[in-house]
Formats: sequence, structure tokens, C-alpha cells
Amino acid sequence: MRPERLALGLWLALLVLCGVIAARASYRTQMGDFLPHSASLEQQVLAQQVNGGAASHILLVALEGAPTATLAALSEDLAGKLRDNAAFIDVMNGDDHSLAQIQDFIWRNRYLLSDSVTPQRFTAEGLHTALTSDIGLLGTDLAPVLSQSLPQDPTGEALNLMSTLAPASAGPAVNDGVWTSPQGDDALLLLHTAAPGFDLDAQQRDLGLVDAAFAAARAETPGAQAARLEISGPGVFGVRTRDVTKHDVTRLSILATIGAVSLLAFAYRSPRVLLLGLLPIASGALAAIAAVSVGFGFVHGITLGFGVTLIGEAMDYAIYLFTQTAQGDTARDTLSRIWPTLRLGALTSVAGFAAMLFSSFTGFAQLGLFSIMGLITAAAVTRFVLPPLMPKQFFAVGAGGMAKPLGWLIRHQRPARLMALAALLAAGAALLTHRGGMWDENLLDLSPIPTAAQALDAKLRHELGVPDQRYFAVFQAGSAQQALARSEALAPVLAGLKADGALAGYDLPSNILPSDATQRARQAALPDAATLSARLAQAQTGLPFRADAFAPFLKDVAAAKTAPLLNAASLPPALALRFGSMLVQNGADWVVTAPLTDIADPTAASQRLAAAGANFVDLDHESATLMSTFQREAVTLAVVGSLAILSLLVVGLRSPRRAARVAAPLAMAVAITAALLTLGGGKLSIFMVTGFLLIVAIGSNYCLFFERAVAGSVAWERAIASILLANLCTVAAYGLMALSHIPVLHDIGVTVATGTFLSLLCGAVFSRGGAP
Amino acid sequence: MRRALLAALLLLAPATQAQTMWSLDVLMIQMAQVRAASASFTEQRTSPLLNAPLTTQGTLRYTAPAYMRKTTQGPAPQDFILDHDRITMSGGPDGKTHVFHASDAPQIGGLVEGIRAVLAGDEATLTRLYTVQLGGDAANWQLQLTPLDPKVAKLVRAITIAGSGARITGIDTASPDGSDSHMRIAETVSDAP
Repeated sequence: MRPERLALGLWLALLVLCGVIAARASYRTQMGDFLPHSASLEQQVLAQQVNGGAASHILLVALEGAPTATLAALSEDLAGKLRDNAAFIDVMNGDDHSLAQIQDFIWRNRYLLSDSVTPQRFTAEGLHTALTSDIGLLGTDLAPVLSQSLPQDPTGEALNLMSTLAPASAGPAVNDGVWTSPQGDDALLLLHTAAPGFDLDAQQRDLGLVDAAFAAARAETPGAQAARLEISGPGVFGVRTRDVTKHDVTRLSILATIGAVSLLAFAYRSPRVLLLGLLPIASGALAAIAAVSVGFGFVHGITLGFGVTLIGEAMDYAIYLFTQTAQGDTARDTLSRIWPTLRLGALTSVAGFAAMLFSSFTGFAQLGLFSIMGLITAAAVTRFVLPPLMPKQFFAVGAGGMAKPLGWLIRHQRPARLMALAALLAAGAALLTHRGGMWDENLLDLSPIPTAAQALDAKLRHELGVPDQRYFAVFQAGSAQQALARSEALAPVLAGLKADGALAGYDLPSNILPSDATQRARQAALPDAATLSARLAQAQTGLPFRADAFAPFLKDVAAAKTAPLLNAASLPPALALRFGSMLVQNGADWVVTAPLTDIADPTAASQRLAAAGANFVDLDHESATLMSTFQREAVTLAVVGSLAILSLLVVGLRSPRRAARVAAPLAMAVAITAALLTLGGGKLSIFMVTGFLLIVAIGSNYCLFFERAVAGSVAWERAIASILLANLCTVAAYGLMALSHIPVLHDIGVTVATGTFLSLLCGAVFSRGGAP
Repeated sequence: MRRALLAALLLLAPATQAQTMWSLDVLMIQMAQVRAASASFTEQRTSPLLNAPLTTQGTLRYTAPAYMRKTTQGPAPQDFILDHDRITMSGGPDGKTHVFHASDAPQIGGLVEGIRAVLAGDEATLTRLYTVQLGGDAANWQLQLTPLDPKVAKLVRAITIAGSGARITGIDTASPDGSDSHMRIAETVSDAP
């Protein structure tokens, strides 16, 4: 009695401890945290741009379903409402306010920002050239517009800067004063949220704000009742995927629970035992979360969601214990019989998942630790905690009859074995003759985003002129100022590439915020008030300007000469976002990530950039490389894991022959499952391969019980019944996952449900039970 | 005989009416008949920044309903083309070609759109953008356009277009800050149907 109390007390104490750790753990969902520790600079850029780069803050909006003029009014109303909300850094719809932030910043700081501010430009000759050009401009139809800015900016710095920082040609068509699609049937808006794309709670809130503002604007705008809003962007994808996953998981887990509970209720006829059956897996999951949190300092969202799927076999442990307890037996009697088998079964699975610990992907390593800790805890809870909590005299009343179908199969082993071998041969033939490769190489098939949503995104990006950022020039520096200086040095190289037509455009952090040294140099290039006044008078000689026409210019230059230098805090929000996305601190280094658009010849661009000391990064290439590393590693881990399970079987059973008896049905089950999955030209996804490891982990338990059981006895019948019950629960849970729209859930579900059921059949057919 | 006289009176009637009832409608119908026209111009611009007006010369070309081209020969050569909503400016002092939409720059768009609407006889556009006042008679008319859009009004106080029949003889623009333009248009060759 005392050791059992001790075990219960220890379990409760550990449960509380794990609960506390899990409650205080830091949960992360960023892609970068899933990546290898040793990620290359390029991979880090990929993760950073995907998760928190300026591009991840973008929401693309289209309004449609009304005449252009109505849509324009709606766009103005919606933009006005969103501009009042701090959740949006920047709301652009093509109207005058859209670029106001940037225009204002440029106008006020033009002498620190413009690269044409040189000593030469402010000599009498330089000024004379500028003023002559101004006379030409005043003779054109632009005169009324120019006569407002020329007195302050005769050298045209602001106009020059606007064309660099906010090129007008890049924007969409304008109708009725707002951006529209070329035909005018959509009004277009480009929003930047304050929250990055990975902050799904904030993104969900922001999407709600857009919807609410649109509904209010529609109610206020006459004739807009039929108007609709379409929205896309990284945040939209993230939120929708989470919604679908949540919906699928909720719906399917309710159905799976109903299925499993009905089966177990029928077998046990005891609500208390039914609930006790949850203790191993629940304790296992909690301990696993705590272990990952302690081991890694944080728990990744994927580890949490996926880990529970991996330790699904922990449900079976309780089933084996409860179902194999015969009438009149105590749980302790049962355990003394089945514990060695159960322990070996759990250990083989632990060995299978242990390979993951050595993965270069932090996410895989977390999943490895999660499943190891989860399964060990679940087995220990089954061994030490469940027996004292079980009702006295309990036995699974309804399980007796369950062995019958399997018993029948085992009695007809000879024809069944022939059929199984025929199925294996057919599967082998099908796999060998499979056409066009077994592996699904198309990454989009793994994406949970529906095709229609991807098409909408592509259409809006095209119409708004915001292409998916693919190419970047990347380099590192020891400090922010050095990084800006190198960015300035790279500017002529990129300008050269642009002039050669090798690229259509680029952005650099130093265009938005020049280095302190450059700002000081520009201040030094500005003459003092007296000198400038004298030179200006000289420059005006022979030109029809009034003597006092440029008094505001003299004042602005004098102010700029002594103005405090600009820093990151001086930037307006829209530019701060762009700047922060291009210049990022990474440990002790500063990384510059400059987006390049429409690269004509990537190889040539790469060479020119390399010569200038910058890396050329193609995100599509990087993500493809990363995905293929990920796929290769997942396959390796599944194969190594399966081999580890087999090796442990040989050691545990102390006989290669017995091990082969356990392993052969598993190999058959995996082969036939693979053949079924690729039937009709289908391809295997990375998730299905992970499913194979689960088949081996779960199915090896079945085969171990088949191998240990002595045919004909009461214990044999109960063992068979427990295997069947465990498998039916597994098929119910994973089979329902196959109905999900999320590729990862669907693929694992269909693979594990099929494979474990086949393991059950093959295990039964090749068990020794047939010998009477 | 009486029938012939009646027929002659009926034929004369519209012409008589056109002469007696001079109105914006009639001017617009007249202007709409012109499919293409070209002319030379002399333009004088004053500016609060300048102590003497700038004089430029060049040619104007128009093709109904929405193509206008202003080629300035001197002193600085420049080309300004309006093709529907698209404005192309080239050969200016910076030597670059600028392309933008008239609606992107309402200040400039509002100015050229008024002249285009008069040339095309597009009364709907004209009255949507301006308060229109017609003075004079068919042989010597003046059309005063006052911008309705406050953004345009900040830059252009009034545009006065003078003409004779279906021919435009002068365009005067006045700005609130004193940047004014006086354009005299001569030798119009219009291709009326």
C-alpha cells in the first residue's frame, strides 16, 4: 500500500510542477525558431522577411460591386476611418493623404536626404545652372505648381527625392482620385498594419477593424449597398489557416472523441475507468511540454500541435491494461503479465523518436524530446498510477466478444496468409512500376492556403504593383552606422544595374536614412548664410528672377546647416517600417536586406553584387533549398527511427527470429499502405513519411502482444480484444483527421489509419495463434 | 409656289436661330464638329518670382475627342501630350520624359481637361469641373471657366478662352499667386466636316 501512495503523491507533485512550468513557458510561432540553429545568413533573411519584414505587415484590399465613382467614395471613407486607427501605420488608396507622411518628411529634411547636396551644387555656377533650368520649367504648364515650391527649393531636391522614395510610376491606375484596377471595376487600397504578419491575434483584430470600417463606410455611402470587400496578405493567410485548423481540429476531435468513447464505453461499461484511461496521455503531454520548455527555453507552436499526434499511442497503454484484466484478476496481476511487453513497446517507440533529437531543425528536436518524455511518462503512469485508482473487481465486460472477428481470422490463417502475401506482391509491383516519381516535389501541395486565395493574392499584388519580394542584396556590418555607410557605397552599384536594365528597382536603408557621416558631409556642403546669399545674387545675374524671390531658400538652408542629424526615431511610421525591415540587428552584427525588383539575369546580378561585397539572395531558391533539406531530414529521421525500433526489438526479444516475426507484418503494412497511397499516380508527401514512422511505432505494440500471447487461453482472448480495441480507437482518431482540409492533418491521418489497421491484420494473420 | 417658299423658310430657320440665340449649347455643338485642328501659338507667362514675363512659341495640335499636343519650340524645347487620361511631358529642362495620369495631378489635370472639354464640345465635363460663363457673340466669344474643385482653384483662379466660330484665338490663365499666362493662337487650320 505504501509504495502505491508514494507513487500517487509523486505523480501529483510532478503534475503540479509540470503544470507550473507549462503555464510559465514561452510559446513561439515564428518560423525562424523552427529552423536549424546553424541557419545560413540567407536562411535567416528568409525567416526574418517571412515573419516580421515590412512585407509581412501588408494587407491588400479591393472594393468591388459598385460604379467606379461610388467605389472611390467608399475607398475615401474607408481610408479615412482606418487612418484614425493606430493599428494601421499606413493607409494608401491613391488620394492626396496617401503619401503625405513621406512627402512631409522629405520636404522638411531635403538637404540632409538628397544625394545631390554637394559643395559644387551650391557654388554660384551650380546655382546658376539650377536657376536656368527653373526658368525653363516656369515656361511650361507646370509653372503654377512649381511657383509654390521653387522659392524654397530652387535646386529641386524634394522632387528628386520623391521620385526615389515614392516613385509615381509604380502605382496603380487612378480613377476619381483613388487607385483602381485598370478597368476601374475595383478600388484598391494598400495597408500596413502596426502588427507583423506572424502576430495572428493582432492580425485577426485588424481584419475585424477593416471589416467593421468597411461596413460603416458602406452604410454611409449612397448606392454602395452591393459593394464587397476582398482582402489578402500574409496576415490574412495566417489567420484563415489558423481558423480552418481550429475548425477542423475542433470538429474532428469531437467526432473522434465520440467514436473512441463509444467503443471504450461499450468495452468498459464504467465511466470512471473511461476517465482513468485519459490520465496517461494527459500526464504525458503535460510532462512533455514542461520538458521541452526546460530543455529549449521555449515551446514551438508546431511542437505543441503535432506532438500530441505523435504520442497518440499512449492512449493504447491504458486500453491494454484495462482490457487485459480478466474477471477476478487485479490490475497488479495483469501488469505483472503485460508490463514487459508494454515496456518494450514504449521503449521501441521512444527509440524511434529519439533520432529526432539529433535533427538540425530545432522544431524536429523539440518534437523528439516531446514524444520521448510524453511516452515515458504515459507508460510510467499506466504502470504506477492507474492500478491503485482502478475500481476493485473491474474487468472490461464488453471486451470479451471483441476478440471474435480477429479470432476467426487467426483460425483461417493459411488462406489469409496467402492473401496477405498476394497483397504484398501486388503492392511491391505497384510501387516498382509507379510512374513519374514517388515524391511530391510541389511545395504548394503542402500549403494549407486554398488555390483561390493564392490567385486573389497574385491578382491584387499585380494590380497594386507590390510584387512578392523575391530578390535581395544582403550584407552585414559591425554597427548600424557602418551598415548605412556600406549601403551608401552600394547605391551606385545598384543604380548601375538599373541603368543597364538588369533590375527594375531597388530600395536601400541609406535612401531613407543616410549615415551620420553623410548627413554631416551634406551639412558641410551647405554654405553659410552670407556666402549663400552672395552666391545666389551672382547666380541670378542675367536671369529674370526678382532679387528677393528665393529668400525662403536662404532661410531653409541656414536651418538645415545646423539641424540635428536624423536618426531612426525621426522617421515617419511608413518609412520606419520600411527602414526597420531593411536594417536589422542580428546578435552583434547589423544585417542589411535590400529588396531588388524584376531581376532580368540573376546570375549576372549575383556576380556584380558579389564584386561589391554583397550577397545576392533569391528567397524562392532559399525556401526551396530549406524545404528540400526539411524533406530529406524528415525522411531520414523516419527511416532511422524505424531501424532503431527494429534494433531494439532484436535486443529486447533476445532473438532475431522473434524480432523478425514482429517486424515482418509491420514492413508488409507499410509497403501496402505506401502502394495504396500512390495508387493511380498519387505521390507521397513528407507528412505521409512521418506517418510511416507512426505506423511502425504503434503497430509494433500490436505485434509484440500477438507474439507474446499464447493461443487459446483466456489471456490470449483478452490480449487480442485489447489490440483490436486499441486499433479501433486509433483508426477512429486518425481516420477522422483524414477528413481535414489541412494537408498535414489529412496526410498523417490517412496514412496512420490505413497503416495501423493493416498492421493489425498482418500481425494477426502471421501470429503463432493459429497453431492449436 | 407657296410650298416652295415654306420649304425655303424652314431651311433657313435653324441658321436664323443660331445667329439670334447664341448659347453654350450652340457653341458646344459647333466645337464638337471639329475633328482635328492645328495652330501656332505665342505664350507670355508672368510669375511672382520673375521681374519680366517669359515668352515662348510653339504649335498646338488637337484630334477629337481626347488628344492634345503642345510643342514648345523656344526658348526651351518641350513636348506636352494629353492622350485621354495620360499626360506625357518630354524634353523639359531636366531632359527626362515624365508620364502620369491627369487624375494623379488634379492641379494640372484640371487645367488641361477644361481646354480639352471646350475643344471637344464636351459640355457635361465642362460644367462638372467649372462654373461656365459665356460672353460675346458667335464671331467673338469669351468663355470664362472657374474651377469648382478647391484643389484646382488653389492653383488656377480662372481660365478665359476666347474664340471666333469654332476657332479658339486665345487662352488666358490666372493664378491666385500671380502666375498668369496669356496665349495667343493664330493660323488655325481646322478640318470641319
